[in-house]
Amino acid sequence: MIAPPRSAYLHIPFCHKRCFYCDFSIIPLGDSAQAPGSPGITSIASYLDLLHREISIAPKGPALSTIYLGGGTPSLLKKNEVGDLLKNLQRKFGFQDGAEISMEVDPATFFENDLKGYIEIGINRFSLGGQSFDDSTLASIGRKHNRSQLIEACNWVNNLFKKGMLRSWSLDLIQNLPGLNLSKWLNELEQAVQTEAPHLSIYDLTIEPDTVFGRRHEKGKLNIPIESEAQKIDLETNRFLISKGFSRYEISSYSLPGHASRHNRVYWSGSGWWAFGMGATSAPWGERFSRPRTIAGYKKWIDEQKSQLLEKTLSNDKSKPMPLDELLMIGLRRREGIHFEELAKNVGWTQKECDKNLELLEKFWLNSLNEGTLLRNNGRYFLSNPKGMQISNQVLIQMFLWWDSLDLD
Amino acid sequence: MTNVPISRLRNFCIIAHIDHGKSTLADRLLQDTGTVSSRDMQEQFLDNMDLERERGITIKLQAARMNYKADDGEEYVLNLIDTPGHVDFSYEVSRSLQACEGALLVVDASQGVEAQTLANVYLALENDLEIIPVLNKVDLPGADPEKIKNEIESIIGLDTSKAISCSAKTGVGIPEILQAVVDRIPSPADNADQATKALIFDSYYDPYRGVIVYFRIMSGGISKKDKVLLMASKKSYELDEIGVMAPDQVKVNSLHAGEVGYLAASIKAVADARVGDTITLQDRPAEEALPGYTEAKPMVFCGLFPTDADQYPDLREALDKLQLSDAALKYEPETSSAMGFGFRCGFLGLLHMEIVQERLEREYDLDLIVTAPSVIYKVKMINGEVVMIDNPATLPDPQKRETIEEPYVRMEIYAPNDYNGTLMGLCQDRRGDFIDMKYITTDRVTLIYEIPLAEVVTDFFDQMKSRTKGYASMEYHLIGYRENDLVRLDVLINSERADPLTTIVHKDNAYGVGKGLVEKLKELIPKQQFKIPLQASIGSRIIASEGISALRKDVLSKCYGGDISRKKKLLKKQAKGKKRMKSMGKVDVPQEAFMAVLKLNND
Repeated sequence: MIAPPRSAYLHIPFCHKRCFYCDFSIIPLGDSAQAPGSPGITSIASYLDLLHREISIAPKGPALSTIYLGGGTPSLLKKNEVGDLLKNLQRKFGFQDGAEISMEVDPATFFENDLKGYIEIGINRFSLGGQSFDDSTLASIGRKHNRSQLIEACNWVNNLFKKGMLRSWSLDLIQNLPGLNLSKWLNELEQAVQTEAPHLSIYDLTIEPDTVFGRRHEKGKLNIPIESEAQKIDLETNRFLISKGFSRYEISSYSLPGHASRHNRVYWSGSGWWAFGMGATSAPWGERFSRPRTIAGYKKWIDEQKSQLLEKTLSNDKSKPMPLDELLMIGLRRREGIHFEELAKNVGWTQKECDKNLELLEKFWLNSLNEGTLLRNNGRYFLSNPKGMQISNQVLIQMFLWWDSLDLD
Repeated sequence: MTNVPISRLRNFCIIAHIDHGKSTLADRLLQDTGTVSSRDMQEQFLDNMDLERERGITIKLQAARMNYKADDGEEYVLNLIDTPGHVDFSYEVSRSLQACEGALLVVDASQGVEAQTLANVYLALENDLEIIPVLNKVDLPGADPEKIKNEIESIIGLDTSKAISCSAKTGVGIPEILQAVVDRIPSPADNADQATKALIFDSYYDPYRGVIVYFRIMSGGISKKDKVLLMASKKSYELDEIGVMAPDQVKVNSLHAGEVGYLAASIKAVADARVGDTITLQDRPAEEALPGYTEAKPMVFCGLFPTDADQYPDLREALDKLQLSDAALKYEPETSSAMGFGFRCGFLGLLHMEIVQERLEREYDLDLIVTAPSVIYKVKMINGEVVMIDNPATLPDPQKRETIEEPYVRMEIYAPNDYNGTLMGLCQDRRGDFIDMKYITTDRVTLIYEIPLAEVVTDFFDQMKSRTKGYASMEYHLIGYRENDLVRLDVLINSERADPLTTIVHKDNAYGVGKGLVEKLKELIPKQQFKIPLQASIGSRIIASEGISALRKDVLSKCYGGDISRKKKLLKKQAKGKKRMKSMGKVDVPQEAFMAVLKLNND
């Protein structure tokens, strides 16, 4: 029996414009998105209407302990719009005492007062989409903000944090952007630490097809750091942040003690979560479901799902748990890795199956275990940091080869 | 089926270079005689293997019988016998020419005569065939029929005053061709009263009826009730059916001298009814067989290994089945410590090898590792024994052998004379001995070289084509064995000898090949979690080394909002790619690496 989800994700797809690396499900509104009477306001209103409908037709569940408003750019919403969404969620599920309620905010879309407004209606954690402290880098990746706006935003957030009005906050940076080298990056990290953010998300740039970067990369016109430089960048990031008291609790997240994102941990633990909104992925019982990525598709889906969803009860008799290969794949992102037997037994394997298949898996992982990229301790397997984290794909590819070699029903 | 006296029978074939429009012309002839209705016309009717149509070449022969009402008002039966157009299959060509009295020589009116065409024309002339020159594609803007006629006259010495200009595409000249076949090609000799001899010019395997044999009766006759004897395989069979190809198979009761037909007799494998064999009657056998029969002799060898060891039995079964329809395919089990269980296979040439490999992968769904092609070496041992070596990894140690001989071919290359320099350079690089250079017209030459076959079965053809923008064509035939100073070059991956990468090279080239090989392998073998040394050695002496540095960073970190499906897809795709690699020691080696030795000169 899988425990019902206690987390929810809300997708707010609006952005001023699409950044060059981005292939998320978003709706660019142009610069005037926040101006009264602009066409963007109407789009936002009709989308929020759909979002409210989806929340209201969802099955009931226990009180939520983590809520995350992501995007897109949720800070394009007004205080009362965010407030209404939270109220609707609370009516449906209720919130646990001390629930973590996070919201993504982008520099140059809010003032200090707006943040106070969000806090008033219940937000207690902000995640700030900084990406870089370098003006030319910011311009070259299509961001709207500049360095001084980012620093100003960090100060506002951090002041609220220091006053005790916020539980925590996080700053996002992208590693390995075009034109970056080790010394420039260390400069970025230095400034990130100076903001006093207690949580840093360091994402590796991923080149997606059908993005500006994807097209440039195909033509060989994207000057991203080469593998050996990227390795140094990753090593130094790890060394530097650990020296500042951070811990890498997940492959792309660093936090000071007590500031790991609870919502983030839900994704990698194999527990379920609700999700609402266009393009959003939910996995209430383990098995993932992704909503249509266009507004028209999303609207049509809601119209179709209405009756069906209403009939769904909280029982998870028919719902499938997350398959073991995915549990291993996501679990290995965490510092503590996975406990193989525990996960396998949870998805219904017998002791015999566990023993036999784990022996096989260890064969596939032999090189990684020998090389010390993958470590083993009391039934747990985890990537060493930074050596193993850096080549996690290799460990996962071997795992998938093992998975494909199994004769499963 | 129309029956006509032998005087109104014509048997002919078409000789043409690839792309010069043979298949299109054949289609036209079938259409214009009403043999195949336009409705049923699949483009290129005679090439009915997928592979053939994709490559635009004929591999397997086919034949078609057409009824044609000539200008004299009489009905004629015209048998078109198709010939394969590739150097790997010249034996098959010679047999199908023997089954004919005449040939259409089809030359592209803008391109001129090519080497392969010429080789086949000479074969046809040797067989005393009446040759009708046909200039095809005269509708194209670059066509210059007069110039090409001169070329044909000066190269082959054929009278082109009655050459026919045609366009198989538009239909111009087709009636003239049909009439010329009737007027100019002689009818078969009337040998119906002699002992039965029929020449097998093609056969294929039908899973329901056994081998279907295509033959031309040279003398005597065959009727449905006869028991036949195949003189080379010495096997006799009761006939299940005989018939003609119209072009679908139509059963008849009997066939006589001069006619072309097929038979089915529950023959188990094409090896039992090989092209060139003579069919006679069991109770009234001919005294001697028709001349010219030869056993299929594989010239090129390679190792075939399943990437997944579990597929070994499937591979064996697939090869067994392929051999039923391919008498030239030879194979025997091969075991290598590096590769596990597989087969050493022999082929007529590179194209034949590629065809078999593709059929195994497509029709039998096997994932294969194919090692670089090798030829067969004659090794004289110190103790006087002579051994034939078709696998470089099994070449005896230098202390035990006295000499190594390798097969040589005589090669003729036709090309515009602008390319003389680059082509001579290529032949020189590939250890060719220059024999002659002849101007065939003022601006086209033929270069003649004697060159080791081992150098030809690499990327020679591709190099020749790319150096001449596709204008050169070549033809070669085996002329015997010659002693050379050859050595065995081994490759060590992670300090372990990789058998399938072993090659035999000339001593003077060993250093360059060894260096090029490890450099290429460095490119082709993906980085692994640890450093891997790559070395080339002769005996125990390391002559070149490189290293693959360890993989440093490979992580996809962004999984937004828990959406891991895309990342999973990417990783699974990479895992699938890895599955197609062969694990040698601790290293995953991709298929391309086994062909690395063929690609050394590409950069």
